[in-house]
Amino acid sequence: MRIAVLLPQVPFARGGAEIFAETLVTQLRAQGHEADLVTIPFKWYPGERVLTQALLWRLADLTEADGRPIELVVATKFPSYCVRHPRKVVWLLHQFRQAYELDRTPLGQFSESARDRALRRQVQRLDRTCLSEARRLFATSRNVAARLERSTGLQAEVMPHPPQPLDYRCEEFGDFVLSVGRLDRAKRVDLLLEALAAAPELRAVVCGEGPDRKRLEELARRRGLGGRVAFPGRVGEEELASLYARCLAVYYAPFDEDFGMVPYEAFLSGKPVVTTQDAGGPLEVVAHRRTGLVCEPRPEALARACAWLREHVEEARALGQAGQKIAQGLTWERAIERLLES
Amino acid sequence: MRVAYYSPLPPSPSGIAAYSALLLPALRRHVDVVVARPGRLRRAPKADISLYHVGNDPEAHGWIVASLRRRPGVVVLHELAIHHLVAGITLARGDAAGYLDAMERCHGLVGRLLAYAVLDNRIPPLWETRPHDFPLAGEVLRYATGVVVHSRYAEEGARQAGYDGPIWHVPHPAWPDLEEEPASVDGSPLIGCFGHLNEAKRLPQLYAAFKRVRARWPKARLLVVGRASPGAADPPPPPGVAREGYVEEGRLWSLMAACDVVVSLRAPTMGETSGTVMRALSLGKPLVVSDVGWFSELPDEVAVKVPVDEHEVEALALTLDQLAADGRRREAMAAAARRLAETEHDLERVAQLYAAALEEAAGGRLVREAVASELAQAAAEIGLRPHDPETRELGERAREVGLGG
Repeated sequence: MRIAVLLPQVPFARGGAEIFAETLVTQLRAQGHEADLVTIPFKWYPGERVLTQALLWRLADLTEADGRPIELVVATKFPSYCVRHPRKVVWLLHQFRQAYELDRTPLGQFSESARDRALRRQVQRLDRTCLSEARRLFATSRNVAARLERSTGLQAEVMPHPPQPLDYRCEEFGDFVLSVGRLDRAKRVDLLLEALAAAPELRAVVCGEGPDRKRLEELARRRGLGGRVAFPGRVGEEELASLYARCLAVYYAPFDEDFGMVPYEAFLSGKPVVTTQDAGGPLEVVAHRRTGLVCEPRPEALARACAWLREHVEEARALGQAGQKIAQGLTWERAIERLLES
Repeated sequence: MRVAYYSPLPPSPSGIAAYSALLLPALRRHVDVVVARPGRLRRAPKADISLYHVGNDPEAHGWIVASLRRRPGVVVLHELAIHHLVAGITLARGDAAGYLDAMERCHGLVGRLLAYAVLDNRIPPLWETRPHDFPLAGEVLRYATGVVVHSRYAEEGARQAGYDGPIWHVPHPAWPDLEEEPASVDGSPLIGCFGHLNEAKRLPQLYAAFKRVRARWPKARLLVVGRASPGAADPPPPPGVAREGYVEEGRLWSLMAACDVVVSLRAPTMGETSGTVMRALSLGKPLVVSDVGWFSELPDEVAVKVPVDEHEVEALALTLDQLAADGRRREAMAAAARRLAETEHDLERVAQLYAAALEEAAGGRLVREAVASELAQAAAEIGLRPHDPETRELGERAREVGLGG
């Protein structure tokens, strides 16, 4: 089958969505399909730019390419699902969250002006129109599906996506907590740094790039974390697998996250995940004292959780192994089978 | 974003006043609301958009229509046929020319001639005899930048009246978290009828049906609560009927809570929703309604709909008899009523729908213009002209997602 995977591209940014879409293309090809990644640059500001950029997807003709039909398109996130196609399937990573649950929060985008309020409503209307055109709607987590239903009344089937293929393994339970992900405020890496400040015996490695990096490095300096925290930036696949293999546990506690591959990657490496009660999607797989630790979103609570794992390595190992069983149940073969039933 | 809110409010006995008292606190959680007050010399509140609640009572709504004419905004069309209102703010205030003009604007030369006939007492007042044929909704719709309706019936009526602006369907909110202590009223079954009692409430038909019910259920009691509208017939109640006039809010709730079934007949309909029906749904009471207008749109699980025809009394009596005999059915209807109140008519959901409508109405045009301008500029820069096929496609795609002009 000829399949186009659709992903809006934020130039120079790379995160879970990019890894997911690229992996999906690779896996589709591995199963004998002719698959390709279709991207259009996306900039969501200022003002109405979020809508005109969405319209670019609406104007894209993906019914065929080079004289041959494209039989299926798989849209992933706003605004790629604005595309018109007779067989459009959406595997939703997230909507434009600023128009929904992030509105009127520090992470929001729209002001209280009449124009901005109407702009937000127009984004919502766009979602209702374009998502309801889909042959089938999948959401990567219950959290994403619930948000979708609340905001548009549309129901999606929950289908978590398997993590990227890495050389996952568990070598040891070292002395550092690993954080993986794009460095922006929503990922809440500052909570981990504050926890480090409260627990002098802890160390952390913070992988990833993003607009919040400078602020986080400055925070680490001000808290005197010195050699206890490292910011290696975006690391290669081998190094990432090695960090997972050697860490004590993985920290992953964005605020109300959509899904997040990180817990699954941690589990495949046999490592427990430390998260917070308000993390959203990750809570669907990170269960307190079963596959990790779930604490209050406060530095002291997080510090206590990490310290407990450090002092109870055997329990940490058991939690990681329990998670591993869950993560191993997620396979690309099964996911693609469901996707193509559409 | 700030909304200027025009509505009668308690202690006005109007149903729309009770509606606004329920809605306002919830709406304030989503938008900044400033409540406008009546008074010719009072300045209109500064706001991004005005919201006008329009019903049929000229006393309660005359000043609201006057404000709407001065400053167009979003109209909540609580009733589709507003002939009463228009007559009340024109003829009743000595403005015969205003009435003639309104009739001509909405119904052409025939309308004007009929209005003359009314003025000359050659035919009975149309607002009493044929308001649904001459609804005069156009008199407020022509000032509306958007319209909120509670039913498909009202939406279709507004379109038939020639309104081509945006219409938002926002259900009437239910009252949340009710724990009313039922009043002590005898009756097995106890049947309730509540609200302003005018001709449309079909009291004679209800009394006739109740007589038949009582023949089989001697302990049955019909509780009729509400003030009779001036000029409306208030027929003498048959045995078994308990009659109360206007009652305070608390007493109204406790009386309704005591009922086994609530009857809300209506014909002719002005295209209105019924506050009584919403109260009954909120309390989880089985309903019997007329099969007209908004009432027809109620789900069958919550209301038995009685056609308004020559068999009305017979059908109504049969329905009440069946409900009296079937406790399980009453329980199922009660549960369905509560579910409907908690979902479709959930107050928070209704407030969100209002906020969405108001936000779209206040800034939607600016957004569409900005998008169109950016698209037009991009098209022009690559040499596309307004009537080129590519430009037309651009417009079509934008319209598909609500961004077209």
